This record gives sequence, structure tokens and C-alpha cells, in this order.
Amino acid sequence: MANPEHVMGVVGSYPLLIALWLLPLAGAVLCWAFGPQLKRAAGWLATAVAFAAFALTVASWGSGTQSLNGALGADQPLVRWMPGFHLGLLLDPLSLLWACIITGVGALIHLYSIGYMEGDSAFARFFAYMNFFLFAMLTLVLSDNFVGLLIGWGLVGLASYFLIGFWFYKPSAVAAARKAFVINVAGDVGIMFAIFLIVQKTGSIGFGNAFAAADTYGPTLLLAICISLFIGAAAKSAQVPLHTWLPDAMEGPTPVSALIHAATMVTAGVYLIARCAPLWSHDGNAQLLVGTIGGVTALTGAVLGMVQWDIKRILAYSTMSQIGYMIMGVGVGAYEAGVAHFFTHAFFKAQLFLGSGLIIHALANEQDVRRMGGLRKRLPFAFIAMLVGVLAICGIPGLSGSFSKDAVIQGALNHGHPWLYAVGIVTAGMTAYYMFRMLFVTFFGRYRGEIDPSELGIRHPEFAGTAAHADTGGHDSHHAPAWLMNLPVAILIVPSIFAGWLLYGGADSPWHRFFDPQFGVAAPANVPISELTTTLVTLAFVAVGILVAYLRYGTAAARESAVERLRRESVGMWPILANAFYFDVALDALFVKTSEMLGRLVSRVLDPHVVDGTVREAAIAAQGSGALVRSLQTGFVRAYAVFLAVGIACFAAFYAFHGVH
Amino acid sequence: MTLPFTHVDWAAVAPLEVLAATGLLVLLFDLVWRPFAPRGLSLSVAFLGTILTAALIAQQYGTNVAAFNGGYIVGNFSVLFGEVVLLGTLGALALMGRGGSDRESAGTIALLLWSACGALLLAAAATTMTIFLGIELLSLALYCLCGLANRKSAREAALKYLLLSSTASAVLLFGMALLFGASGSVSLAALASPAMVTNPLFWMGSGFFLVGIAFKLSLVPFHAWAPDVYQGAPLPIAAFMTVVTKAATIAIFARFAYAALPAGASQMLLLPVWAIAGISMIVGNVGMLAQHDLKRLLGYSGIAQVGYILAALAGTTRLGLRYAFFYLVVYAVMNLGAFAVAAVLSSGDDEEGTQIQSYRGLGARRPLLAAAMTFFLLALAGLPPTAGFLGKILILAVAAGTGYLWLAALLLVGTAISLYAYAKIILAMYRPDHRVHAADIPRGAPLPWVSLALCLVATVALTFYPLLPSGLLPLVK
Repeated sequence: MANPEHVMGVVGSYPLLIALWLLPLAGAVLCWAFGPQLKRAAGWLATAVAFAAFALTVASWGSGTQSLNGALGADQPLVRWMPGFHLGLLLDPLSLLWACIITGVGALIHLYSIGYMEGDSAFARFFAYMNFFLFAMLTLVLSDNFVGLLIGWGLVGLASYFLIGFWFYKPSAVAAARKAFVINVAGDVGIMFAIFLIVQKTGSIGFGNAFAAADTYGPTLLLAICISLFIGAAAKSAQVPLHTWLPDAMEGPTPVSALIHAATMVTAGVYLIARCAPLWSHDGNAQLLVGTIGGVTALTGAVLGMVQWDIKRILAYSTMSQIGYMIMGVGVGAYEAGVAHFFTHAFFKAQLFLGSGLIIHALANEQDVRRMGGLRKRLPFAFIAMLVGVLAICGIPGLSGSFSKDAVIQGALNHGHPWLYAVGIVTAGMTAYYMFRMLFVTFFGRYRGEIDPSELGIRHPEFAGTAAHADTGGHDSHHAPAWLMNLPVAILIVPSIFAGWLLYGGADSPWHRFFDPQFGVAAPANVPISELTTTLVTLAFVAVGILVAYLRYGTAAARESAVERLRRESVGMWPILANAFYFDVALDALFVKTSEMLGRLVSRVLDPHVVDGTVREAAIAAQGSGALVRSLQTGFVRAYAVFLAVGIACFAAFYAFHGVH
Repeated sequence: MTLPFTHVDWAAVAPLEVLAATGLLVLLFDLVWRPFAPRGLSLSVAFLGTILTAALIAQQYGTNVAAFNGGYIVGNFSVLFGEVVLLGTLGALALMGRGGSDRESAGTIALLLWSACGALLLAAAATTMTIFLGIELLSLALYCLCGLANRKSAREAALKYLLLSSTASAVLLFGMALLFGASGSVSLAALASPAMVTNPLFWMGSGFFLVGIAFKLSLVPFHAWAPDVYQGAPLPIAAFMTVVTKAATIAIFARFAYAALPAGASQMLLLPVWAIAGISMIVGNVGMLAQHDLKRLLGYSGIAQVGYILAALAGTTRLGLRYAFFYLVVYAVMNLGAFAVAAVLSSGDDEEGTQIQSYRGLGARRPLLAAAMTFFLLALAGLPPTAGFLGKILILAVAAGTGYLWLAALLLVGTAISLYAYAKIILAMYRPDHRVHAADIPRGAPLPWVSLALCLVATVALTFYPLLPSGLLPLVK
């Protein structure tokens, strides 16, 4: 560690890394510039780019894991901006993992999108945005400094904004995009604030310098930095109370929900905290705060997921809940567990979203599970895909979710947070309930698509089948071959089942050996509850959840009376749940209303021109040239003169006071 | 007692003479040769004269001459600020090349050049008399220039500017009189004696003097005129005012704050200025939120940006002056760049190009223009990796380093607010809009394009400025 500027980085394949980083940008530019010429080829081009980026990631595997004198990598900045401000790329186990998921899962979702977006009038633009997102996300995770991370952070927000609002003729999509953007800008400011604090203290933006100085910050500054960073992480990763944009973001096309709002972008907060592990490890208060928020989010997401009817909103709340687990894991200090849950979640959640996309696509944009039912026979492949995903997310032993979720729950206990341990177990049971509820309502019983929506208790039927269809440019006027959409889902089933086995073997598992150089070897925890007990208790809760879901929606009698039951539940839902705990209302009152009031205040008091400008100009035009002087009597000059006079008076008073003393 | 102007040093003010003579030449050529001369003659003469002036000023770098008995001090300080003034003048001249007839432009150009003379005078002025002369020379020409556009709002803005600015000038003059009464000299340097600390006349005089300066800098609460005037004035004039007026006034303020204050009194004496600088950062950025007109929005942005520059000066350290100057240059180029984009989009005197709603869908129709605008707005917002970010980091470092943490905090809060306002324009540009076709947008005259390109290059170049081994910008730490 001769040079503390970069204690992390890569030696072997820097050109490879640069190529991997810039390739998606080139793809985006090509799709954007030559969209009209490329037509359908744009989708194949973008997909090829994503697969090539994945191949390059795998090719640079070795250099991401090599160890130099105990420290990873070397000092290789791309740009030496000024002392302390070096910008470069970094490949270590953490960024390698994220890059693998971004490009790998990203490539599969690109392939799926060729089928899903078939016939959309802005086909090429969609893929330009998707490739641009890959580039932005890679910038975020491959940067070796906070400024690069912030640039990536802002760019993924922008890509997300474009893709949520992709169908910009839908007012709800535009509103959702704007909401996501505003909340994320608030998060960006938090990170910017943290960067300023770090630069002020260390004079450097590099991760290496910032972390090497972790024990010199002092408790107050360190807590301020951690909280500022966490504001950014919470906004991006939909943590309570900044989560309200995520369910709305489902207005975007389903592949976007799978890639950005489930597998990759929303986990950026997890990446940020895992990346800044040296800071968090130094501050117990920050760990407690972040772990608690993560636990609260996991629980809130699960509660709200239990009462949703829109299939994508169920999955959105479940995403929020699962990210709560991850944040809880990395927050309390169980970094490997939190990161592992990101890894497995990326597979099974992408699979769930893509599976729901198959349904939505087949049912002509219907998303309300109350109007589904009995789809098991009609869409057998979608059923299998969703079933595997549901089993994985519930943590059925042997499937990927069980390994990582149990690791997070046990990690909370190992790091001395028994309450979070309990929350994790309870949430696991609730997760099992709402996922099986979705499965039973969607795939079992009789098809309810032809029933009058009001009989199902749907108050404002959207008749998505007709209206939305015309909007998306005749979505299924010519269908793509089914394998285009089925193949990526089929491929995802494999890691959904098996990815968790990397964690098998406790401290000796491949996962731990991979990450130990990064996060250090944790001391064996001395806790009364063993991992096996934890797994069994969790399983008991999961079984109860599944049983309740079965009794309510799965038995033969329940299936018969499904219409009546769904109507009763829809009408009789508690207002507090129907309004998602009033978070939206509260945020609206706190920020939107306040800023509107501020705007009004500014325009009334500080800037009268905005309000009355047009009126006055019209009056002047009507009255002719003589009105010019008269306009001075309309009050504006006098209002300005009052400002001037008050200002002068204040100054005079200040200086008179100090002059006499 | 010697009279102030008994010794005349023509060589020291040679750049001013050239610039003033250029203004006369422009008028003369227009009068004599207009029927035969090609279009753009006035503009070409003005460009040549301004560039010659810039060259003459650059020659003065490294010299140190106190001309006119210390009323006009030539040195590196005056050279650097003088060059920023001429940069702004060149930018404004380039924006004038976007259309309109030569007949109108000859007078405008002459007035603009004479206004720039006033600003150049301010960059070197070191007595209250030369300061007042410079301020009035700068302002008198601007009163006329603001009212030149053939719109009611322009004339109204000019009249408003005249009335309020005259009031401020009166206050400034009153302050100067009190300062003269306190020190018995018009020289600023005479104020730096320890005897002044206990002199009530000195305190009151400084207060009124600073009010006048704050008005010219459009600091809150003396800011109300600025957005109105920028909106009403023709586009090149607004660009001129945001850069040249601010640069010249900051030169005066810096000279007053650094060279004219007795030791021990300066922190307390300048405290109100730092306070209103902090308030300006907030009010200027909040004010941007409600705007629909780009020029007006940039007017509010300017209010906040001046606050940032003053934050660098707050500790009155040499480093602070350097950083303030760096940010001033960055502000000048990114601001001129944004104005240049607006000039490309608004042909002739048509002011529609400055309506923010007319930027909708620009990203798809004119990707280059939209990308340039995005870059300038990001720089104004101070986001990495632009020069604006670098400038802000430096200011933050020096403000926090000299103990003005609250100014640094206000700067961050202001930046956060401004992100929203700038992002609004950027998002509007990249929102797909099928209503307007590319053909409907003016292609724009060549000169604004050149100006735009140069500003872009300059903003990028300034980002990498710390790479030079010049030593102007030592380590942040």
C-alpha cells in the first residue's frame, strides 16, 4: 500500500474493463442515432451489446479477485483531475458481482424485451434507453471514487425517469416518472453532501483515501457522512419513508420493472453501504439506524404486499420488502449476507417479473389479479416460472432464497440485534403468505376475465385490454415468437434454484472465500441460537404463511367462492392499508404542499411580476404610450423601492451601531 | 493638498482609449460608409477594437503602475478582471450577430463598448472618484441599452432600472462622501489606517458604500430589479449585464474588502455583506423555481452565483480571491454559453426562444444544441464533472477553511434547491414532443454558434485547469 490513493483497483485487464464499461454507451448511441434505420435490429444490437458486456465481465473475473500484497489492485486512474481528485475504474469482488448481475441478468432481459416490446412505435428508443441504463449502472459500480459513483447515481436516475415515463402519453406514467425523479434528486443531494464532507476532511474523492481515514473522522462527522450517504441509499433503494415512488414506477414496461426496479438499480443503496463498509463498521449508531430502517422497510413492504391486487404492485412491494432485508443485512454489518441476498434476489425477482410479463402480455395488458384466475392450464410455462420464483422468494430449503435470507436473519442476531432477527422471521412468514396468495388467485380457480369488474369489487375498471392496447401501438398485432420471451425466463430458473448453493458450507463456502478479502473475516459469533434453529423457526413461519394463503384462496371451497370473496375483500379493505399507511399523503403535505406554498410566497412577495405580469402588460398595450409612466404606479417600482429602503435601513442601523461602539 | 487628477498618465489608460475610440469609429463608419459597406462592418470593427484592447491589457500583466495619483492602479488584479470584462463584451457582441439591421446595431454596439469602458475603469479604480466615474459610465450606457428592444417590457425595465439604480447611486455617493469626511482623502488605501476603527463616519460611510455595491451585484434585498431588467432587455445586453457588471463590481468590492479596511475591523464590517450573500444563495435559487422565461431564470441564477463568489471572499484570504476569480471566469463562460443557446434559438428580436416551454422536445430535434444546453445548466448547477463543480468545491473548501461554515452550508442548501430548477429545463428538453418539427426551429446565425462552441470549449478546458502546473490553484486541502 505504497500509495493510499487507490488501495483497490485492477492491474491485469484495464483495457478490458474500459471496454466493458463503454460498450453499452456505444450501443445506446447507435440505437439512438440510427433507430429509424435499424428498426427491429436495434433490439438485437442492444442485446448483443449486453451479452458482449457480460462476456467481458466474465473475462475480467481473474483480475477482479487477484490480491496484491494483501490489498486488491493498484493505482490506475483514468484521469488525474487534480491532487486527490483522480477518476478511475475499480474491479474488486463487490463491483465484479454487481457487474455480473447488471450485464448477465440485463442481457437476458434485453432478449426478453425484443419479444415484449414487439410492435411498439418507439422500439429503438426503448433499447437505447436500456443500453444507456446499463452504462449508467456500470459507471456507478465500477467507479473507484465518490464523484464517479455520484455521476452513475444521477445517470441511473435519469435512465429510470425515461423508462418509467416511456409511455409518455399515459399521464399516470409521466406522474410516476416525475415522482421517482424528485425523490431520487433528494437522494443525490444527500450523497453530494457526504462527498463534500469527505473532501473537506480528507482532500480526496477516492474510496481508498476516504476509507483509510475512517478512524480519523470523529464520531459526529462520521455519523453525518453515514446519514447523508444513507439518504441517497434510502431514496434509490426505496426505504421507508422514501419508498413511495417504487410501486408507482411499475407504470413502466414490465422488462424495465424487472431490470431496473427489481434486479439492479434499486439495489444501488445496498451496493453503496457495502462499498462504504469501512465507514459503517466504525459507527455503531449508523449501523443501528440503517439496520432498523431496513427492518422496518422489510415489514412495511410485506404488510402492504398482502393487500395489493395489481400483480406488478404485489411484486413491487415484495421488492421493497426484500431490499429491506438486504439493507438490514449490510446495515448491521452482515455484509456478505446482505450482498448474497442481492445476488439471489436478482435472479428470482427478475424471473417473477418476467413471468408476470408473460401473463400481462398474454392477457392484453391486464394486471389485476382479480381478473385473472385459472391461468395454470392456459399459461403452463408462466405458471412453472412463477412457481419456482415464489418458492425461491419464500425460502423453501434448497432454493436460492433460503440460503441468503437465512444468512441475513442470522446475521442480525450475530451482530446483536435480536429485534431485527424477529422482524426478519415474521416478515418471512408474511412473504410466504402474499406470494402464495398471488399464486392461488392468479393460477387456480376459474378465469374471471369475463366477469363484470364491479362484481369483483373493482371500483374504477380500466379495461386495460382495450384502451392500453391502442396506446402501446397495437402491442400484439404481430406477436414475436414465443421462445424469445420464454427462453430468458427458462435460463433464469437455473440460478433461481441453484445460486444459493454458493453459500453452502458456512465460513468455508465459496461465497465467503470470495468476499473475505473484501469485508474481512468475521469473528465467530457467540449466540444462543444456532443457524439450524433459525432456519427451522423461519420455516415454521413460512409454513404458517403458506397454510393461511391456502385456506383463504387455495382450497376447493375457496376457489368456488372466489368471486364473492374477492369482492368482499376489495370493498372491505381497511383504509389505512388501502392508502399504504398514508405515506404518500404525508410526503405530499410535507414537501409538495410546502414547496408549492414557498413558490407562491416567492411569486407574491419577492417576485410580483410572475403573478400579475400578463395582466399589467395587457393593460399597457391597451392604454398606449402614455401608460408607460403609469406602469410605474402599478406598485412594482414602489414595492422594489420598499425592499431597497428596508435594506438600506438595516445596513444603516448595523453600521451606526458598530460605528458608535 | 494635491488635486487628484493633476498627473495624467495616458499610457496606463491606453486600453480604455482604444475601446472608447472603437465606439466612435463604429458610429463614424456607420455614418459615412454604410451605403457601400458590407453587412456586419460595425460588428467587425467592434470585434477588432475589443480584441486589440484585450491584447493591450494583457501587455500590462506583471507591471505595477499607480496612474492618476493612485486613482487608477494597473496591476495583475486589474488585468485579470479587465480580461473578464472584455470576455463578456466579446460574448455579448457575438450574440448581437444573430440578426437585425446594421442601422440599429451601430448605436447599440457603440454604447456597449462605452459601457465596457466603464467596467474596465472599475477593474483598476482605487479612489472613490474613479469608482463613481466607472459605475456611472457603465450604468448610463446600460440604461439606454436596456430600453432598446422594441417592446413595452424593455422600456419599462429600462425606466425601472434607471430609477432604482439612481437611488442606489445616490446612496453610494453619500457613503463616499462620508468616507471622504472620515479620512480626508478619496483614496481607498487611506481608509486602512487604524484610526478609522473608532470613527463613526467611517462605519456609516462604509455601510452606504456597501449598499451601493450590493445593489449593483443584485444581492438580496437589493435584487428586485435584476430579473425584470434581464427579461426586458435584449438578449445580448442581458448576457453583457450578467457577466460584465458583476465582474466589474466584484473587482471594486474585492479591492475595498482587501485593501481599504483597517485591520481588526474588516470581519465585523463586512459581516452584513456575507449575510446577504448567504440569503442571496437561497432566495436566488428559490426564485428560479417559479420562472418560465430563461433570461429571467438566469437573472435569478446570477443572484445566487454572486453569493457563491462572495462566499469565497468571506475570509478575505489571498486563496479566497483566487478561487473567487476562478469561479467568476467559470460563471462567465457557462452563463454566456447558456445565453448563446438561447440566442441560437431566438432569431432576431423574437423573444420566443427564451420561453422555457419552447425548449420541449429539443433533445430529439436538435440533439447538439440540447446537449450543449444540458452541459451549461449542469455546470451552473455545479454537478460533476463540470468546471462548475470544481469551482464550488474550491469555494466550499476556502469558506469552510476560514471559519465561514454557515456560508458553506447555505451554499449546499442553495445548490440542492437549484438542482431542481435546472433539472426542470433539462427534463423538458428531453421529453419527447411530437408537436413541433425540426424545420420550425431557426437554424441560428453563425456568430452565436461560434460563441456557443467557444464557451463549451472554455468550460471543458476550465474543468481541467488544475492539471496545469500554474500554481494558481493549490491543493484543496
